Amino acid sequence: MAETEQTDTRMHFDELPDAPPRRKIKLSWPGKIGIVVLVFWTVIVAIGPYIAPYHEAEFLDESLFVIPGSDEMYPDTDFQPPSKIAFLGTDYLGRDTLSRILFGARTTIGISFIATIFAYLIGVTLGIAAAVGGQKLDMILSRLNDAVLSIPAIMLGLVMIAALGSTIPLLIVLTGIIYAASVFRIARSLGQDVMVSDFVEAARVRGEGLWWIIFREILPNVAMPLATDFGLRFVWVILFISALSFLGLGVQPPMSDWGSMVKENLPGLIYGSVAPLMPSLAIATLTISVNMLVDDISAHAGGKLAGRMN
Amino acid sequence: MIWRALLGRFGISIVTLWVVSVLIFIGTNLLPGDVAAILLGQMATPESLAALQAKLGMDQPGYMRYLMWLRDVSTGDLGMSKAGIAQGNASRIVDILEPRIFNTLRLTGMVAVVSIPVALALGLLAAMHPGTRLDRTVTFSTLSLISLPDFLVATFLVLIFAVQLGWLPSIAYLRGAESGWDLIKALAMPCLTLIIVVSAQMIRMTRATVLNVMSSPYIEMAILKGVPRGRIILRHALLNAIGPIVNVIALNLAWLVGGVVIVEQIFAYPGLAKLMIDAVLVRDLPLVQACAMIFCASYIVLIFIADMASIVSNPRLRHPK
Amino acid sequence: MKDVKIFQQMHRDGLMTRREFLAAMSALGLSASVASSLLVSSSALAGTPVRGGSVVMASNLHGPDDTLDPIVCTSTIDYTRQNTIHNGLIQIWDDMSLHPELAEEWSVNSNATEYMFKIRQGVEFHSGGTLSADDVVWSMNRHLGEDSPSSIKAFFANVVEWKKIDGSTVRLTLSSPDADMPIKLTQFQAKIVKQGTTDFSKGAGTGPYIVESFEPGIKSLHTRNPNYWRSTGQHLDQIEITAITDPNARLNALLSGSIDMMTVLSAKSIKQVEATDGVEVMSVPAGLYGGICCLKNTMPGQDDDFVMAMRWIQDREKIVRSFLKGHGQVGNDHPISPAYGADHCHELEQRVYDPDKAKWHLNKCGIKTAELYVAPVQGGIEETCLLMQQNLAKIGFDLKLKKVPTDGYWGAVWMVEPLNVVTWNMRPTANAMMSIQFGPGGNWNDTFWNSDRMGELLKMSLAETDPAKRHEMHCEMQTLVHNDAGMVIPYHTNVLDAVSSKMHGFSNVPLGQLGGNGWAEFAWKDA
Repeated sequence: MAETEQTDTRMHFDELPDAPPRRKIKLSWPGKIGIVVLVFWTVIVAIGPYIAPYHEAEFLDESLFVIPGSDEMYPDTDFQPPSKIAFLGTDYLGRDTLSRILFGARTTIGISFIATIFAYLIGVTLGIAAAVGGQKLDMILSRLNDAVLSIPAIMLGLVMIAALGSTIPLLIVLTGIIYAASVFRIARSLGQDVMVSDFVEAARVRGEGLWWIIFREILPNVAMPLATDFGLRFVWVILFISALSFLGLGVQPPMSDWGSMVKENLPGLIYGSVAPLMPSLAIATLTISVNMLVDDISAHAGGKLAGRMN
Repeated sequence: MIWRALLGRFGISIVTLWVVSVLIFIGTNLLPGDVAAILLGQMATPESLAALQAKLGMDQPGYMRYLMWLRDVSTGDLGMSKAGIAQGNASRIVDILEPRIFNTLRLTGMVAVVSIPVALALGLLAAMHPGTRLDRTVTFSTLSLISLPDFLVATFLVLIFAVQLGWLPSIAYLRGAESGWDLIKALAMPCLTLIIVVSAQMIRMTRATVLNVMSSPYIEMAILKGVPRGRIILRHALLNAIGPIVNVIALNLAWLVGGVVIVEQIFAYPGLAKLMIDAVLVRDLPLVQACAMIFCASYIVLIFIADMASIVSNPRLRHPK
Repeated sequence: MKDVKIFQQMHRDGLMTRREFLAAMSALGLSASVASSLLVSSSALAGTPVRGGSVVMASNLHGPDDTLDPIVCTSTIDYTRQNTIHNGLIQIWDDMSLHPELAEEWSVNSNATEYMFKIRQGVEFHSGGTLSADDVVWSMNRHLGEDSPSSIKAFFANVVEWKKIDGSTVRLTLSSPDADMPIKLTQFQAKIVKQGTTDFSKGAGTGPYIVESFEPGIKSLHTRNPNYWRSTGQHLDQIEITAITDPNARLNALLSGSIDMMTVLSAKSIKQVEATDGVEVMSVPAGLYGGICCLKNTMPGQDDDFVMAMRWIQDREKIVRSFLKGHGQVGNDHPISPAYGADHCHELEQRVYDPDKAKWHLNKCGIKTAELYVAPVQGGIEETCLLMQQNLAKIGFDLKLKKVPTDGYWGAVWMVEPLNVVTWNMRPTANAMMSIQFGPGGNWNDTFWNSDRMGELLKMSLAETDPAKRHEMHCEMQTLVHNDAGMVIPYHTNVLDAVSSKMHGFSNVPLGQLGGNGWAEFAWKDA
């Protein structure tokens, strides 16, 4: 079934000489590293909570940290260095950093991923609507879009979360709407390009309907550039949500997300605690690997994509 | 012809500003508590709350307050800060904005002066020698930097330069009369953070756009004819890449004006972003609106300049079909 | 103890670094927190004040609502500025002692219903003009009336009138006896300003420093008042008051020498300050507390067993040990900590962590889950709620935490949601604290617990002059709150700040940051 569909599309491209050819992408080593790290985190999202040594909310007991032979009954449990008890040390409340990263992967990556998808649903739908719809619709959507783009994302985020409370669904919807604005711009301009291309004109001359053109011409042609942009956008959403967490508007305690983990453990940095470094490292490996992958793909796609992404 | 285009652009800008003001108005009205309740805080009583609300005109329905604000703004009057009135301060919003705008422009200016030339130079250099060690270094380090949250960059810089080495002050605290070296030193940390964050993006963009232009047929032709690569880039490719590059610069500058919340917070720098956050926290609607208007206007102006630049630099856009 | 003194001297004279001092103290068997408190008091040993120098103080919060108008002050930065630029009738200093300020002397009638104040003559306002009885009456009248925005008008609910008798005498008449009135007049909001002032942004008073510039949400700059009425104090040439909202940035600024004083040191950072030469922790035991309000007019707080379970589940020792790093005391579910002195009821048995008792109460009331609203209104409160959530989970109770921002909290959540967190600053007297929070039918009765007996005791204790009887009454009040009100008070925290070791001359008044926010007039800085 899947195969026939694929053959169909390929045939369809064959009869339209102007449509861009489908290319098989071969990754170079940064792209491969990117894939590996990405797969790693995907696995963690799936199994993280099951392999975590403790629960994310658990305060490690002081008795665990008593040095044998010492008469100190209540040693400090916060900002402890990595040890057998806590492989990546403990955080500012004496919770296990590793467990919190493993649990937090689900929140951070999950929220960002769903929010990015949501941004794409809104952005692409409206962007293509603006491209194929009338001038009036384009005008209204573009002005609304300008307005959202012209206020710094972090400001919009702060006001709306303060107004409506920081629940996970709200975080997703809000981030989705804010980032839909930039997706809209790209989808609209890509859509407009395709709309004036020779093969769409040919389709029109053949008498194909609007929906046919959207689904058979525009979407397949904008899919590849948008997929690459999805990666970049995903990184920005992760950074955006981390920034919100940093400003104290993240997920509800005791749930962990990486941005909040950096924030709440910053006082430990000065003691040389690894508690704020580990979640930073988690964020960095994830975002860098996505970017490496995207870079690699877009380099193979001729560099043209980069021109649209800003 | 050009005047009509300008006029059209101006009209669109006004509409955008208005849409922003409506969005902000709705947003701030959804926030729990009004300015009177926030100011009286834990010690509010029903009577004192009602009295302060009346004093600040908060007893009017929301849409009336919005219409009155709109009327004042259309005559160029940004109004008074509600928090200022309630607290017995001089409270004309223009006066409150003035030092903040100055601070923000100063920081933005200092960052722009350094980062734009650096970014263009490094981006071009990388594009001139694609695939070399230099290119790979630049590509990978900028890629890492755009992948890091700005609060991490800022925190590490503080830890290194202020706490460990003690070379620079950890906050951008201005005593008012600094000039020259003292000023640069005081602003060094936030500048450095922003330069790193902003340059990384611009370098990547410059490199990508130039490389993109390099793959176009007429450049390939020039290469085939034996024109040196460096000359092609500087004489032909750069000119055609100006449009997208200026666009990225404009977006980054707009972000510097209103989006640097975290940097202003970490370095305690009294700029516009911090002002807007503070105003939101006390629900001072006229002040919030004023900040949002400034952000929106600067975005519009910067994008406009970028568009003009790409039209001027690109003959094809100068004469649209 | 004599050794300690010698070491203190050595540290003061620079013969010993603070690290060496702390090591010496631990060798003498003193705990780290005790040792560092000795370091603070070592600054009190330091010699004669030095005149000159300028300082920068960074508080934790500021914004467009910063104000110089005394009656609407609500934040540390506002309070600090009040004590810098204005005077009150009476001043509070070390060990909560009262000193004449603009009132040269005062007297009270036998049943504490009428006070006479003799107003200091020849005191000049910064803006020119001399202080008179009219200014005093005008300033104090601003706290009266239902629609007054004054944040301490509850203190003056019993005022009948302020009346000018002659140019230098003012009479205060009360509707009910109030022996605490003089101490209430030391509050930041009760400063005296020039009659008829409408613009307060340039300062309207007679204080030791004048307002050079004032930019709300940025900073204020103050210089010495050349025409001040008092000849002592005023050591500093120039004072800058600002705020750095981010706690790490504030601490880094102090550690790197950009500022001289900071308010609100996080307990997480105490170790760091103690390990750094040139900066000191200021830790003053206080009545300041973080607590959990269970509203008594709705479920689940209505159920006494539920509230009792919330009390037994508090691991008070661990909270003080881990979250406050020893800089605080365990709470006993009433606001009157030992810092209130004689009015604290030491006879009342201390409640301890007992999950079995908590479980028993929860089984009895049959409640399985609840939602608690948490905002970071106070240093240890979020941690306390997280610990409580964990410990409740162990006995099969599901406590959901709903984290909300601090702005808007007092209007939208506190006294509205059935379970919420609260913080109360220490009030000048036990009676003032109890009546503001538990006075029947009061505006700030934040658990909606109304007890007639409480009302009687509040009235009686205010008129009682016999110390033993008064203590007994206070004990009964504390027992009532401890058992019956909807309050859970697991801890009292010290007032925690940090200053440069060059700074001296702070008082130990626990009513606000940096010694009751009253340092400006008497602090000095080593050259």
